[in-house]
Parts: sequence; structure tokens; C-alpha cells
Amino acid sequence: MDLWQVLLTLAVAGSSNAVSGSEATPAILGRASQSLQRVNPGPGTNSSGKPQFTKCRSPELETFSCHWTDGINHGLKNPGSIQLFYIRRNTQEWTQEWKECPDYVSAGENSCYFNSSYTSIWIPYCIKLTSNGGMVDQKCFSVEEIVQPDPPIGLNWTLLNVSLTGIHADIQVRWEPPPNADVRKGWIVLEYELQYKEVNESQWKMMDPVRSTSVPVYSLRLDKEYEVRVRSRQRNSEKYGEFSEALYVALPQMSPFACEEDFPFPWFLIIIFGIFGLTMILFLFIFSKQQRIKMLILPPVPVPKIKGIDPDLLKEGKLEEVNTILAIHDNYKPEFYNDDSWVEFIELDIDDPEEKTEGSDTDRLLSSDHEKSLNILGAKDDDSGRTSCYEPDLLETDFNASDVCDSTSEVAQPQRLKGEVDLLCLDQKSQNNSPSADTAPTTQQPSVILAKEDKTRPLLISGSESTHQAAHPQLSNPSSLANIDFYAQVSDITPAGSVVLSPGQKNKAGMSPCDSPPEVVSLCQANFIMDSAYFCEADAKKCITVAPPVEAESRAEPSFNQEDIYITTESLTTTAGQSGTAELAPSSERPVPDYTSIHIVQSPRGLVLNATALPLPDKEFLSSCGYVSTDQLNKIMP
Amino acid sequence: MDDKGWSLKGSLLPLLLLVSDLLLCQGVTSLPICPTGAVNCQVSLRDLFDRAVILSHYIHNLSSEMFNEFDKKYAQGRGFITKAINSCHTSSLSTPEDKEQAQQIHHEDLLNLILRVLRSWNDPLYHLVSEVRRMQEAPDSMLSRAIEIEEQNRRLLEGMEKIVGQVHPGVRENEVYSIWSGLPSLQMADEDSRLFAFYNLLHCLRRDSHKIDNYLKLLKCRIVYDSNC
Repeated sequence: MDLWQVLLTLAVAGSSNAVSGSEATPAILGRASQSLQRVNPGPGTNSSGKPQFTKCRSPELETFSCHWTDGINHGLKNPGSIQLFYIRRNTQEWTQEWKECPDYVSAGENSCYFNSSYTSIWIPYCIKLTSNGGMVDQKCFSVEEIVQPDPPIGLNWTLLNVSLTGIHADIQVRWEPPPNADVRKGWIVLEYELQYKEVNESQWKMMDPVRSTSVPVYSLRLDKEYEVRVRSRQRNSEKYGEFSEALYVALPQMSPFACEEDFPFPWFLIIIFGIFGLTMILFLFIFSKQQRIKMLILPPVPVPKIKGIDPDLLKEGKLEEVNTILAIHDNYKPEFYNDDSWVEFIELDIDDPEEKTEGSDTDRLLSSDHEKSLNILGAKDDDSGRTSCYEPDLLETDFNASDVCDSTSEVAQPQRLKGEVDLLCLDQKSQNNSPSADTAPTTQQPSVILAKEDKTRPLLISGSESTHQAAHPQLSNPSSLANIDFYAQVSDITPAGSVVLSPGQKNKAGMSPCDSPPEVVSLCQANFIMDSAYFCEADAKKCITVAPPVEAESRAEPSFNQEDIYITTESLTTTAGQSGTAELAPSSERPVPDYTSIHIVQSPRGLVLNATALPLPDKEFLSSCGYVSTDQLNKIMP
Repeated sequence: MDDKGWSLKGSLLPLLLLVSDLLLCQGVTSLPICPTGAVNCQVSLRDLFDRAVILSHYIHNLSSEMFNEFDKKYAQGRGFITKAINSCHTSSLSTPEDKEQAQQIHHEDLLNLILRVLRSWNDPLYHLVSEVRRMQEAPDSMLSRAIEIEEQNRRLLEGMEKIVGQVHPGVRENEVYSIWSGLPSLQMADEDSRLFAFYNLLHCLRRDSHKIDNYLKLLKCRIVYDSNC
């Protein structure tokens, strides 16, 4: 325990009750194992003028010396009266007397020096200071507690290396241990602390204690000058000795070719790494699976599309449908289609081709699927564009539309009409027709081909042979007739529930009565793919010549054009009106007993038509038509 | 002061673990291992001394810290200025008191002295730990240090016995040591007296650990380095 702590303890304990320790005789010391030795403490500053111990110190654990201060009133008192007495405990007893200091001189003034013969380590000492016989101060200690080595000697430095930039250098500082410390024999083990600073600085930089007598100092600037100093202490102690003299380090001058000192802002590195990072992010985006981001960064190139044609359709390879589509495509009125109209065409229920094939109007009419029929009749109002199907003014055929629209894409009524008329004619045909089914690939849109008013030729689709579809087959097997649609325009539905077919508009001479009533115009496809039951040879021939334009799905305008396949109800009505009542064949035109009212619906697959309203131009009928209605037949064949 | 001591302790602790393992001849693969009971196994004397010095240095550091802590915490204001009057139980052992005496004594005798001192402290350290543990107001660090000192002291004793076996084989002195009788004073009811007894014990411990440390360093330089450290 160092001396200062002892002094501090004394100072603190001073205020408390103090056992009279001024005359601490060995007897008292030896006896009072239980009593506490108190010493009148002296304040830190010698304000009271009493001499005090300042420091006791052993530099090498072999000798020690103690120093004290004189009182302020030194001059007044007899300077020589101060004495130091010491005592050390020998074994267990304090048998000795107080001895006086053996050497007042060697350690300087106001000091007492104890040489090695007087020094015992690990033995408690007590010293007291007396002035004129009166004790003024006392302290107790052991020698090993007051070890403070001398400063090292022989400091020198050598240059280790200079940095490549020529700005910094490393040096190695060496020194010798204090000469009086016997480190060679290991009696005392020292450790050292080095401090350095620039010459014009005031703050020393400390390094960690080292046990060796040399230490490197790194990173000194060449353009500065430094000072170095070392101090030592015993390894187990805490108090350091005095510092050595400062060593002046004069480093070699910085070469004029030294690098720029300041580290420039690494623009180059930042740019490089920035580009690298951005490239990485970009690649991440490009090759990431996130479609959205991909779309954002690299928007997809629009695939060439033909309006109205579904690319999937092309892929599926249904040639007939494709042909249909392509054929219809020519008839498109550009103004019908917006830029995004092709989207409307895409509404194709590809996944359910069965439905399409079965979705012919006739089938719907005949089928027991009331829903379907309802669908046919009902307007599916959505934004798919199919609503336009229900517009009476538009004869639009969205052949890509769903079944619902299929049925409604054409004029709804005409479809129905056509269906009925098909039925009607089919009845006749069923006996006549050879079951030659011409399956039109496109089930989707049966196109109602109404009677053309302008066209000289009836809107017949298929040749008699080819179009002769067995009504029977159709009736019996609607699915086989998937591609065959019979259309008649249904002009009205009577409250009684009977369906009134409107007369076909046959402005052409070649229109057969059979043809006319209905506007049963079957698709007159180029290939006569779509068959209708209604056609007559003449019409068929004409239809053949007509070729492609006849397309059920074509969106015909209300006006009857040559190319129009569809005739709206109004147009039909007008024409019918022109030609006469619906029930009457148009007088100006061919009398077209185009319709007949449905008497009853026998079965889902059968309709019994009233023949009353059906004007039958027998002559023409017989001559031109390949079919006869029931009544006609009855008339003809009683 | 504590910080420095702790930093020293921190740096020494891995060394200490290594040394303790080596002294006990337990599985340190990188160093030669002496299985217990082996006759011809020789850890070099240099290594033994190095380890012993490390241990003794460590013990002295711990003792100093412990004493300082106790002094700061309990002795302030109580005037435990009893260094002059306290007597350690190991004072009866005639150990060299200065350098000349230490240099004159034969190293075998010095080694035996060291052993005696170490043995003398086995009992007091054991009781110190138990009493500090019972002392409610004692800080945890004091208790941990006490436990550590006791353990390292045992290890140092074993190491020293090995060294003696190498330096002075064949001679086995009687186990002489000083008996410690300070237990009753540690258990006194009077707090002042009890604290004073603690103070005394810790002060003696610090002194004796310094003595052991010094002797060992001296012996190391003398035996291993031939007085030329």
C-alpha cells in the first residue's frame, strides 16, 4: 500500500477520536493488537507549519529513503532539531527502540536514507518525525509497498522504415533499465511506459506498458519533430517512477517527391462501385421472375395481331373456323372496331369448344336446356361487347363471342326464326334430305342470313346437296348438326306463345319462297361450310357464286346490301311490309311465305307450325325449293 | 487502480488457465503432457518456472486488488493503521528479508521455504473464502477473488512440488508450515474487530504473495537463466 494512501487515511481519521499515538512506543505497538493506532494527521498543505513526511520511496527494493517538509516557521525554529526515528518489527516483537535515521545526507535535505543494511523487505517499518523532541509526524509502511524505480537511461531511437508515400515513418525506441535495479538477477521486475508527443504539443500520448526495454513507435510524420520519454515501475505495483529525460527525435526530412498527403475523395471508386451496383440491380430486374417489374423495365413488344382473330384459334388448328374467321374478316366494317376491339374478339370460350359446337342456335332452340334457350333469349349484358349483340340495330356477329352471344350475336330473332324455319323445312327435308351433314366448323356463329333484299340471290349458304342436312339428324342429334344452323327470323312472339316468323326478304328474284320466308338464311360460306336446311338449288348456285361475303357473322348493317347476310328485324319488317304483311308474301317481291307460326311445341326437338300464315307460292315453291312446309306438303300431297 | 489490476488479470487469465492445465498435466495438446504418476516425464524446468512465476504474479495481483478494495470499502475512517502492529502467522518462518540474504540462501532451501509458506496459506485461504461468503456486505468481486486466490494457491503449491522434485529430487522434507489461528478473530461478533481481522489477513496475504513472487523470480533467473535474466 503506497504511502499516499496511508497519509490519506491518516488525514481522514484525524477528526475521529484519536488515541494518543504520539508516543507510540514499541510496547504499545506490541501490546495494542486490538487497539487502533491513531496518528495526528497533518493536513496536505503544511499550513500549520509542522514538518511532515512527504514521501518514502524505495527505488530498487534494496534501499529506501524518506523525505519530509519543514514547517513554515522554519526559520524561526531550530532547523536541526528535526529528527527521524524509525523502528521495525522483528519477528513478533517490538523489542527494539526507536532508532534514529542513519543517514540524513545521502538523499538530500530533509531526508533520511536507509541503505541496504537497514532495509528489510516485507518487514513493517514505522518512522516518526520529531521536532525538538516532540513528534510531529509518523507513518508505518513496508518497503515493498513504496517501490518506485528510477527512470530508465540510455534512450535512443532508430528508424525502422518509411512509408511508401513518404509521409510517415516508424521508429524503434530503446533504453536501459535503471542501473540500480537488479533486473538481471530477477530481484525486481520492471515494466515501462513510453510517452511521445510532437515538439510543439502539450499533450503526451501514452502507450501501453511493456516489459521489454524497446518498443516501436509507428506512424510518425516525417515533417514533424517528436519527443519521447519513458518511465518504469515494478510490475506488481501501481506507482510509476519518474520519467526519463525526453528524447528528441529528429526524423529525416520528407523528400520533395512525397505523395499528396490528403487522401482525396475517392470519386473514381464511388463511380465504379455505383455503376456496378446499378448494373447488378438492372440485371436483377431483368432476370427476375417478377413479371410486373419486368413489364415495367422491359415492356413486352406487342405481338402482331389481326383484329378479330384470336391467335389461339390459329394455334388450335381448326381450319374451318379459321377459314370462317378469315372470311368474315373481310367483311368487317372498320368503323365498328375500336382500337381495342380486338380484345372483344378474344372473349372466346376456348376451353369449352363443346359448348360451341352445341351452341348452334338450332340446337339451342331444340335443346332441353332451357337455360340455353334463356340465354339465347336473354340479353347478356356485360362489358364484353356482347351487349352489342342485342342491339337491334346492329347486326353484329361476334364470332369469337361466347355461346350466348353466338346465339345473340346474330340477330336474335332472326336466329330463332331461322331455327324455326329450319325446323320447318327440316321436316320436309327430313324425308328428303340425305343425311349429308356438312359440318361447319364454326359453330359459333350461325349466321343468320336473312333474305337479301338487294341481292339477287338468296342468302343461301350451302348447296342443296351439301346443305341438305338431315333435319332428322339435326333434330335427333343436335350435336351432329353442330355446324349447321337453320335460321329463320323470328319477328315476334305472340302472347299465346307461338313464335311468329317473319317473312324472308327476298328482293332478288332468285329468292325462293322457302328462302324468303326465312330469312332463313343460312350461312353462305365460301365453302358452304355452314349449311342451312333452306336453300334451293337456284339459291345455292347463287350462293355459291356469291361466295365468301356471305357470312353469318358478318355484321350487317341495317341496310340491306348485297353483301349483307343479315337483315334486321326492322329491315325485314319493312321489307316484309313492303312486300306485304309478314304473313303474306311480299307482293312486289317474291311472295315469301317465310314464316309460319308455331302451333305447338311438341318436344324440344319438334315444332309444329301453323301453316295458316304461310303463304305458299306453290308454284315457286315447288319449283325452287327443295323443301316444302308441312302444309304445303299437305296441300301438295293430300 | 482496479482497472489496471483487472486488465492485468484479464491478460493473465488465459495464461493462467493454460498454466493450470499444464501444471495438472491435463490435455493441452500443444504442450508436452505429463500424465500423473509418470516418472520420466519431464516438463522442462524452464517451463515449470515460467508457469510458477505467472501464477505467483497472478496471485499477488489478486491479493493487492482485494486488499485495496477492502481498504477502500471498510477501512476508511476506521483507522486500521495496523500494518505496524499486525503480525502474520507466517512471520515465524525465517525467510530472507533482503536481496543479500536471498542470494546467499541455497535455492533448495529457498524452494522449501516457498513450499512452507504456500502450505501455510492453505487453511487461511479456505476460511477466508467461507467467511467472505458469509459476510453479507462483501462485494461479489471480493468473494470471487478470494476463491480464485485459494485455487491458484493450490495450483502453485503443486507446481512448486514438481519443481522441487526436479531440482532436488529424492528429498522429501516434512511438511512444515505455520499454523494459522486467526479464525476466531474472523468470526467475532464485534464488527470492528472482525473487520480488523480481515484487514490483517488481507494485508498479510498481500505481503506473502509478494514475497513468494519475488523469490520465484529470483530463483528463475538463478536456476534457469543462470542469473542473467
